[in-house]
Amino acid sequence: MLDGMFSGLATALMPFNLLMVVAGCFAGTFIGMLPGLGPISAVALMIPITYTLDPSSGIILMAGVYYGAVFGGSTSSILINAPGCASTLVTTFDGYPLAQKNQAGKALALAAYASFTGGTIGAIILIFTAPALASVSLSFQSADYFALMLLGLTSVAAFSGKGQVIKAMMMTVFGLMIATVGNDVITGAPRYTFGALDLVDGVSFLLLAMATFALAEVMMTIMRGEMHGSKQAMQPVALSTMKLTRSEVKEVAPTIARSSVFGFIVGVLPGAGATIASFLAYGLERNIAPPRLRKMFGKGALRGLAAPESANNAASTGSFVPLLTLGIPGSGTTAIMLGALIAYGIQPGPRLYLDHPDVFWSVIISMYFGNMVLLILNLPLIPYISRLLAIPPQILNPLIIFFSIIGVYLVSFNTFDIQMMVFITLMAVGLKLLNFPMAPMLLGFILGGMMEKNLSRALVVSDGSFDFLWHRPITLGIVCTTVLILVLPLVLGWAKKRIVTYLPAAD
Amino acid sequence: MSLTKDRFGGVLFLLLSLSYGYFAADIPLLPGDIYEPFHAQTLPYWLSGLGIILSLLLIVAKAEDESQNAPLLRSNVLLMIGLLALTLLFSVLLPWLGFPITTSLFLIGSYRILGERRIKMLLGASVPFALIFWLLLTQVLDVYIAPARLIFW
Repeated sequence: MLDGMFSGLATALMPFNLLMVVAGCFAGTFIGMLPGLGPISAVALMIPITYTLDPSSGIILMAGVYYGAVFGGSTSSILINAPGCASTLVTTFDGYPLAQKNQAGKALALAAYASFTGGTIGAIILIFTAPALASVSLSFQSADYFALMLLGLTSVAAFSGKGQVIKAMMMTVFGLMIATVGNDVITGAPRYTFGALDLVDGVSFLLLAMATFALAEVMMTIMRGEMHGSKQAMQPVALSTMKLTRSEVKEVAPTIARSSVFGFIVGVLPGAGATIASFLAYGLERNIAPPRLRKMFGKGALRGLAAPESANNAASTGSFVPLLTLGIPGSGTTAIMLGALIAYGIQPGPRLYLDHPDVFWSVIISMYFGNMVLLILNLPLIPYISRLLAIPPQILNPLIIFFSIIGVYLVSFNTFDIQMMVFITLMAVGLKLLNFPMAPMLLGFILGGMMEKNLSRALVVSDGSFDFLWHRPITLGIVCTTVLILVLPLVLGWAKKRIVTYLPAAD
Repeated sequence: MSLTKDRFGGVLFLLLSLSYGYFAADIPLLPGDIYEPFHAQTLPYWLSGLGIILSLLLIVAKAEDESQNAPLLRSNVLLMIGLLALTLLFSVLLPWLGFPITTSLFLIGSYRILGERRIKMLLGASVPFALIFWLLLTQVLDVYIAPARLIFW
């Protein structure tokens, strides 16, 4: 383990990789600040760039962008009450009221410290849990992998929220359907190509990710008319002092510690992600706060800002656990990273720890560097970075569209891909208007091929019988967890109802 | 039973699943594959069945409150259609006019569609950007970009 750790440290400390962390954090912060574009879109936009880099540098860049985007989302939540992504929605509850009280600088500093601590605690827990989990999963067989993928897909759907479970499952199935387009992975038989040569290789992951997240998000922003009204909203408020007093630090320290551990645990659950972690941490803090402080929640409570910020960052780190150790992404963003790793020819999972220790450890170590970069470099530069938001939306949106399409074109040099992108974007916009979630589709698409291969192997070994699902204790355990996770939303729905009654009016 | 957004989505997905299942029969199988527990048609058939079940569930499920979505303005929808049409045009013109010209035209067109009218801004934010980006790709990153077919006939 130590050899791998040092090799990862050496890789992460390479000047070029350090530069990638810094560049990723900056780019992520900027993209994350733009309302509507969250970490998923930010990471998707980086994929074409990472194809020109070696795997470690590419993944380090993406991890930096991920953190930067989460931080950028918090910044726009605090400064202009417009969360860049769902996981920073809770930050607006107390962050924006603080900014209105002329304490925007303090709110940003607290968000940065809380994010840093959350990320750091998450990274430390990850260092110890990931290798342990990877060692256990080395004994996994095809049946276990199939069950794990089923667990991942089910849990992403199960944690989608009230009224969304069936739709998320439908989107997962849709993703699996798209994954079957092209030559069959086992027999090579063409499926759903309708004689078109351009479809023989199937739908490209990059194309699907760019069309459904980057391009479709921009189109939704335009359709909602947010680009007209946002010009005025983009004018950030004055920052004031960024210093926290000793008593304030004393007040928020236990909150940050609790929310970090809590956030990490929630983040590890496949599909749960940073959004649920931030909501639950906020609810938890509000419930355990003394009545005097509880009244302040929603009006600019420091605890109310620190809890979701530390929880969402720790959850972002936690979501790397299933990706790095089991090859199953814990969130939409890590699903995109999984696709990028596969494109590099690296199969995430238990073997990653043994076969590519440099990638495994450099990602973990660079996460910590990413947090440091956000704290040391990004925070003082926020007043300047936020000025980039002044770029008129009628200029910014076409540039984002251009980078999305050219990113896909530069990988295949096939204009059919751009046409396909337009078609998929139209479809994605339609699905978004019907309130269908996109992340489960991407996850289904990415896991589709692997899932089919493992299911085929398991069925052949068991001579067509489904008893492989309960033959081994590990498989049975995973199947039981899958069933449990399907039941969990009912419990969470009940808990959410309780939290919502305490939340301030969404104003 | 009113036709809510969810039910409309369910009906669409039902049609998709039915057609997906129908076309699964067209997937060619290797000799003897039909006797195997798993072949190229197996997963498509399962997915089709699962899709049908889920869409029927969504159609019969209790309708959710849909008041959360603000209505879309027709003009904004037209903006989106205009941008996507321009993207399609970009893909068609790219091999013929080459990267710098097509990119400049695409950017000018999209800025204009989104409401930018100042000529200086239209040209200033497109032509230099396209040229610098093209030079960066071809000269710095050494990416081969095919020359325009129309110019280098």
